[in-house]
Amino acid sequence: MKNTKLELSVGVFVLLGLAALAYLTIKLGTGSMVSGNSYLIESRFANAGGIHPGCSVLLSGVSVGRVESVRMDPSDYSAIATLRLTSILHLPTDSMASVKTSGLIGDKYIALSPGADSTFIQPGARITMTESAVDLESLIGKMAFGSIDKDKETKEKKSLPSP
Amino acid sequence: MMKRQLPLLLLVFCLFSRGALIASTDEAEKRLKTAVNQVTEIAAHAPDRNALAAGVKPTLQNILSFETMTRRAVGPGWRQFTPEQQKEAVGLFTTLIIRTYTAKFTPGELPSVTFKAASSPAPGRVEIPTTSSYKGSHYDVVYRLDESDDWRITDVVIEGVSMIANYRTQFDAEFKQGGAEAVIKALNRSLATSK
Repeated sequence: MKNTKLELSVGVFVLLGLAALAYLTIKLGTGSMVSGNSYLIESRFANAGGIHPGCSVLLSGVSVGRVESVRMDPSDYSAIATLRLTSILHLPTDSMASVKTSGLIGDKYIALSPGADSTFIQPGARITMTESAVDLESLIGKMAFGSIDKDKETKEKKSLPSP
Repeated sequence: MMKRQLPLLLLVFCLFSRGALIASTDEAEKRLKTAVNQVTEIAAHAPDRNALAAGVKPTLQNILSFETMTRRAVGPGWRQFTPEQQKEAVGLFTTLIIRTYTAKFTPGELPSVTFKAASSPAPGRVEIPTTSSYKGSHYDVVYRLDESDDWRITDVVIEGVSMIANYRTQFDAEFKQGGAEAVIKALNRSLATSK
C-alpha cells in the first residue's frame, strides 16, 4: 500500500514536470513571454526572409520584444511583421526597423533604431522606414559572376574588328 | 434616408482617397523623374568631378531634404544639438552626401534609370523603386519621399541598405561617446578624407 502511494506521487510529479516543460517550450518558442506589459506595432518590409514568430527584437543589442506574427500584404506583396514590444519603450515616429543576422549565418532578428522625432509610434501603428533582409547570395553572385551586361559588353568588344 | 446614402458616401470617400493616393504618388514620381533627368543632363556635359558636384548641387538641394536626412541620420541625439550645431551639421552632411555620391560618377558616363511602380506605405510617404544601370552593373535603388518635405527624398535604399540607417549607426556611436561636438568632428573628418 505504501509503495503504491509513493509510485503514484512520483508519477504525478513527473507528469507535472513534463507539463511545465511543454508550457515553457511553447511559450518561449512563440516568444510570447515578453516580461511585463507590452504593446503591438507593425513593421513593413520588402523582404522579411528568415523572420518568423518568436524572433528577437533588439534595440542597442538589448531584447525589447519579439516577433508576434509575419504575414503578406496582398495589396503590394510586402511582408508585414507584427512586433510585441515592452511597454516601457517609446519609439519616435521616424524610428527604423532592420532585418539583421547574428554573425554571417546566424539567426535573423529585427533591430530597431530610434529616430529624432518628438512624436511617438502609437500601439497598432506601422513602421515604414525599414531595411529588408540583405540577400547575401545575390550579392555574392553579383561579385563572383558579374552582371549579364558586363559579359555582353566584353563579348561585343571582343567581336569588334581590330583597327 | 441617411442609412440609404451611407454606402454611396462611403464609395465616394473611398474613390476620393484612392484618387488622392494616386495623385500623391504621381506627383512624387514626377518630381523624382525631373530631378534624375536634370542630374543626367548635367553629368553628360560636366568636364570633371568638381564641375559635376557644383552643377548638381542646386538640383540635389531641390529634390533631397538634407535637413530631414541629417536629423534622421543623427537620431535621438539630434534634440540635444543647439540650433547652431544643427545648422552646422546640416551644412556638413549636405556637402558630404554631394561629394560622396558625385565621386561615384565618371563625367561622360551616363546611368540609365528604370522606374518601377511606386507605392505609398503610409499617408504622406511614397517609395519609388528603380533599377539603375551604370558601367554594366545593375543596382536596385529605392527612393523614399515625404509629402511633409514637399515630396523631397528623405532616404535612399541601395541594394537593401538604407543610407539613413547606415549613417545613424555611425553618428549614434559618435554621439554616445562625445555628444554633438563628436558628431560634427566626425563629419569634418569624413569631409577632410573625401577631398
